[in-house]
Amino acid sequence: MEELEDVVREEWARLVALLLAQFRRLDLVEDALGDAVEAASRTWPDDGVPANPAGWLMTAARRRLLDRLRTEEVARRKLPLLLTDVERRAETTSTMADSGTLVEDDVLRLVLMCAHPALSPESASALSLRLVLGVPTSDIARLFLVPEPTMAARITRAKKRIVGAGIPFAVPDASVLPHRLDTVAQTAYLAFTAGYAPGTGPDLLRAATSAEAIRLVRVVLGLRPDEPALVALLALMLLQHSRRDARVRDGHLVLLTDQDRTRWHHDDVAEAVRLLATPSLAGPLTPSAASYVLQARIAAEHATAPSADDTRWDRIVGLYDLLLQVTASPSARLARAVAVAEDQGTAAGLAALEGLEIPDSHRPAAVRAELLARSGDVDAARAAYDQAVAACRNDVERAFLVGKRDAL
Amino acid sequence: MKYLVLLVGDGELKPWPDHTPQEQAEVMTRFEAFSAACRARDGVEILAGEALAGPEHATTLRTRGGTTTLTEGPYAEAIEAMGGFYLVEAPDLDVLLELLRVLPPYDIQLSPVVDPY
Repeated sequence: MEELEDVVREEWARLVALLLAQFRRLDLVEDALGDAVEAASRTWPDDGVPANPAGWLMTAARRRLLDRLRTEEVARRKLPLLLTDVERRAETTSTMADSGTLVEDDVLRLVLMCAHPALSPESASALSLRLVLGVPTSDIARLFLVPEPTMAARITRAKKRIVGAGIPFAVPDASVLPHRLDTVAQTAYLAFTAGYAPGTGPDLLRAATSAEAIRLVRVVLGLRPDEPALVALLALMLLQHSRRDARVRDGHLVLLTDQDRTRWHHDDVAEAVRLLATPSLAGPLTPSAASYVLQARIAAEHATAPSADDTRWDRIVGLYDLLLQVTASPSARLARAVAVAEDQGTAAGLAALEGLEIPDSHRPAAVRAELLARSGDVDAARAAYDQAVAACRNDVERAFLVGKRDAL
Repeated sequence: MKYLVLLVGDGELKPWPDHTPQEQAEVMTRFEAFSAACRARDGVEILAGEALAGPEHATTLRTRGGTTTLTEGPYAEAIEAMGGFYLVEAPDLDVLLELLRVLPPYDIQLSPVVDPY
């Protein structure tokens, strides 16, 4: 039912956050809300959609929760005591729920709790998609390519860890908030990457995963509008996501230079370019925010070049030089070597690749193979392609590399 | 919640005996600052806290098949360098993490105490 899907999509985070603020029972909130959605799917088609759909779900979920708490308390034979306590809390929070800013704070608390640095990044990503965006567990399992029971267990474990380790439903001290928002950004980027460049499996791209990660950043950015890490990350994601329809043709990988630029989503590119002009990006930045800004500016150089031949590789090399000062990651060095090869020629590119290795990655060998092929050293190129094919775990990319090797 | 705060390793700091007396005194002021910060914070209380003797003074009990054997030394290498502990009452993990920034940057394990209720 479309109205129900819409309200779940739009209001899920707010409903979870309000129920958590009221009951502090992470173990019960999600089930109660799930039951409420299920009840709505049964009754709304006959009774009509209520005037305030989110309020309806909230009331139904709250009733479910109170039932559960009562059952628990009956088991403990302390019923009268608890009822008064819960009802009193229910009264105070219902006034709270009317105040816009308090509700927004609750959503921020929820986001910070789900992406707490004491959780593993994988757990944090899954939990954020589930509790902040309301993505069903079965879909999250599909997005991360694991069986549904595995994902369900991972989410349950993460929720137990939050309760057990004492991870709070709270906004931390201002001195640590930027770092905590960095973790939120990393969490969203991990989910994005799971869709943009799946490490394993048959798909080259799972745009739905990336779209959900973008939605997560938009939710958080709505709460902290100028936060540099989030602004830059959204720009970076949009620029990469804008090429989703051009990256694969007939199940094959299409390299950036060969992509049909008319198939890029230019509205995404325009939004990203606007985001990169945000004044807060010129201020002091955390290292990870600076890294997102530079990566986004590099992506913007590609996205705004009228054709592959018009790409300003000199500017891109300059941006990579800055990026390497912020984070000396081997993948940034690899990407810089590619840019150097375009800007200054194959020999300079091969020199920039010298000594570069990334454990468990086929990419350095694949780039070396391509540059060797361009320089006419067919034997060395074939050996490098063999190495890349052996290390590659993505089916579509491997087929691409085999094709390149056989065409030598 | 109650947390057992285990100072399990020196991290990037020098081992305690390698500190000059003046350096040791500086480290001690950080422990005092931590106690003061905990006292000043609502809902936070240090319930216990001690420095521990070195691993050469530790004794480990192992019971296998009903037989208990004692061995000299710590249970595992991982806790060989354990220098001390606190038992702290704190409202949540974030409050504790914030306060622990006052201590020297040791490697620290935080284990919540099981609530019997």
